[in-house]
Amino acid sequence: MMTAPYEQYADSRDVWVFAEIQDHERVLEGALELLTRGRELADALGSRLIALVFALDAEQYLPAIERHGPDAILCCSHPALKHYDSQIVPDMFADLIAERRPSIVLFPSTEAGCDLAPRLAQRFATGLTSHCTDLSIMDHPDYGPGLLVMKRPAYSGNAIATVICPHARPQMATVQQGVFERRERDDVATDIEMLPFSYDLTKLRIESLEAPLRWDKPKVPLEQAPVVVTGGRGLATKKNFERLFELAELLGGEVGATRVPVFNRWCGEERMIGQTGKTIRPRLYLGFGISGQIQHTASIVDSEIIVSVNTNAGAPIAALSDYVVTDDAGVFLAKLIERLRSEKRG
Amino acid sequence: MLSIIVCVKQVPDTQKAVFDPKTGAIDRSATGNIMNPDDRHALEMALALKDAHGATLCALTMGPPHADEVLYEACALGADRGVLLSDPRFAGADSLATSRALARAIERLGPFDIIVTGREAIDGNTGHVAYQLSEFLDAPLVSQIHRIRIDGAHAIIERQYGHEYQTIRCPLPALLSVGSRDNRVRHPRLADIAAGAVQPIRRMTMDDIGGSESDYGASGSPTIVIGAELFSHTRGREALPGGTAEKVEALVHRLKKHNILRY
Ligand SMILES: Cc1cc2nc3c(=O)[nH]c(=O)nc-3n(C[C@H](O)[C@H](O)[C@H](O)COP(=O)(O)OP(=O)(O)OC[C@H]3O[C@@H](n4cnc5c(N)ncnc54)[C@H](O)[C@@H]3O)c2cc1C
Repeated sequence: MMTAPYEQYADSRDVWVFAEIQDHERVLEGALELLTRGRELADALGSRLIALVFALDAEQYLPAIERHGPDAILCCSHPALKHYDSQIVPDMFADLIAERRPSIVLFPSTEAGCDLAPRLAQRFATGLTSHCTDLSIMDHPDYGPGLLVMKRPAYSGNAIATVICPHARPQMATVQQGVFERRERDDVATDIEMLPFSYDLTKLRIESLEAPLRWDKPKVPLEQAPVVVTGGRGLATKKNFERLFELAELLGGEVGATRVPVFNRWCGEERMIGQTGKTIRPRLYLGFGISGQIQHTASIVDSEIIVSVNTNAGAPIAALSDYVVTDDAGVFLAKLIERLRSEKRG
Repeated sequence: MLSIIVCVKQVPDTQKAVFDPKTGAIDRSATGNIMNPDDRHALEMALALKDAHGATLCALTMGPPHADEVLYEACALGADRGVLLSDPRFAGADSLATSRALARAIERLGPFDIIVTGREAIDGNTGHVAYQLSEFLDAPLVSQIHRIRIDGAHAIIERQYGHEYQTIRCPLPALLSVGSRDNRVRHPRLADIAAGAVQPIRRMTMDDIGGSESDYGASGSPTIVIGAELFSHTRGREALPGGTAEKVEALVHRLKKHNILRY
């Protein structure tokens, strides 16, 4: 395996992006960010950028995808694709890879992306680097030209590792949402190819017994919220935690959490920020009762302003903060809400 | 009776780890080893199934010779036997080479009705292994499990998926991927720890699972790490002065200065 010369990959060139659909209503922001970065990678390689979308009524998402610069969109539309399915999508995706041989395939680091990518990597016996925070192209003196360079947090977020996959194709990465900018462009003509749906649904093994129930979901995805007020263990009670929603409303933002409130079921998992959750870069991050463990803070460091409220002035989060409030989180939260209310009333 | 295998891993205790300030790598000689936290929850899931339905429970780990410590621990908690997959030819494996070795060992040791893994390991955080085992073993995978019961040749599972709750039926054999939110772990009693330490551990090498050297370890790993750097994100840390009311004022003032508060 180590001796395979890179020339054998001369025919695998394109950059693919899994254009995931969120809540069957919009293209995932992280997918649009990946298209933006994917465009730059494809341009650096002189190859094409291809977006893949599998969805119910998938046609409705094509304009948004087109605006982010792919040369082509491969689109499959069918009611069985309403939710990500861990059999159908990997099977269809694998057939496409086998037939068209992309050089690079990128996925958002979501529940679906983190299911799909390792399955495909296994099927093609290729490498996968997960939760990447940067992607670029380099020519390596030993491993050859045009390699995808993937950076990801390592050692519990204390370091960034640089990873390549020189001897197998496609080179694959899942990417944290929110790490790349997203940009629209109108200088790329996009071909649209509709793929037939011919999956044998009797092959499906997992069967749904009742209609799924929805629960607590942020109105705006945390990655896009301009203000994220975040609670941790130091808020002590669900009641205190729920007051964050009032503050978020007053500041025009959303509520996030460390792992502790999610674990305590004070809020849903969609609100967790950190290594196993979302990466955010709001204008303001306001943290209440959060110690600042690296698994959480690695995903907030690109916030414009960081404010922390903690009884312990020496908590690690203080070092990352622009403003440090040494106070009881619940009490400070209540007072701040009161203050902003009175200001709003005039 | 069910037959269950649970995959566990010994990892450096990264919460208490000592890092090499130059490379950012963990100083393994100065850092203690523990059972990977998610794997404790995986083991708990297996033990709960054993309690509810009766089962024989095998704990499997791949690692250096001293990784057998996590197998003794698993036996102290209630596993019936332990298998250590250890061979210098497995060293330096990425997630694909790891999954391949584990899958082949599971095939040799099986058949199993249920294969349980932790969601991710704290030393690698890839979260690939459960999915790749699902592919190698051609068995369906379920994660985010709130409730599970076995009904003949199926598992009936309530789980969270994204922001939805679902009840599903999944045929056995199946893989379960378990994380820290899915249950609360039990702790071994001293007497059980002593008993666990005398359980025989079976040792397996590449010769027991088949394949060639190029399938495993660094040579079976498509990814190569070419560098690592430490980073630091410290900021101004201006302490806001006074009592709570003054601090609120000071914060509001600064948020206006940054044009985040506009009224
Ligand atoms: C593999 C792995 C992945 C992880 N992924 C994530 C992740 O994605 N996201 C995440 O958040 N965590 C993650 N964690 C957990 C992470 O390591 C921390 O345990 C978690 O972030 C701590 O949350 P916390 O700050 O709310 O709680 P703690 O660390 O318990 O901190 C509570 C803080 O509140 C302060 N406090 C106490 N009382 C008060 C009060 N009355 N008023 C004000 N302050 C008070 C304390 O001084 C303390 O600093 C992960 C861990 C592992 C091992």
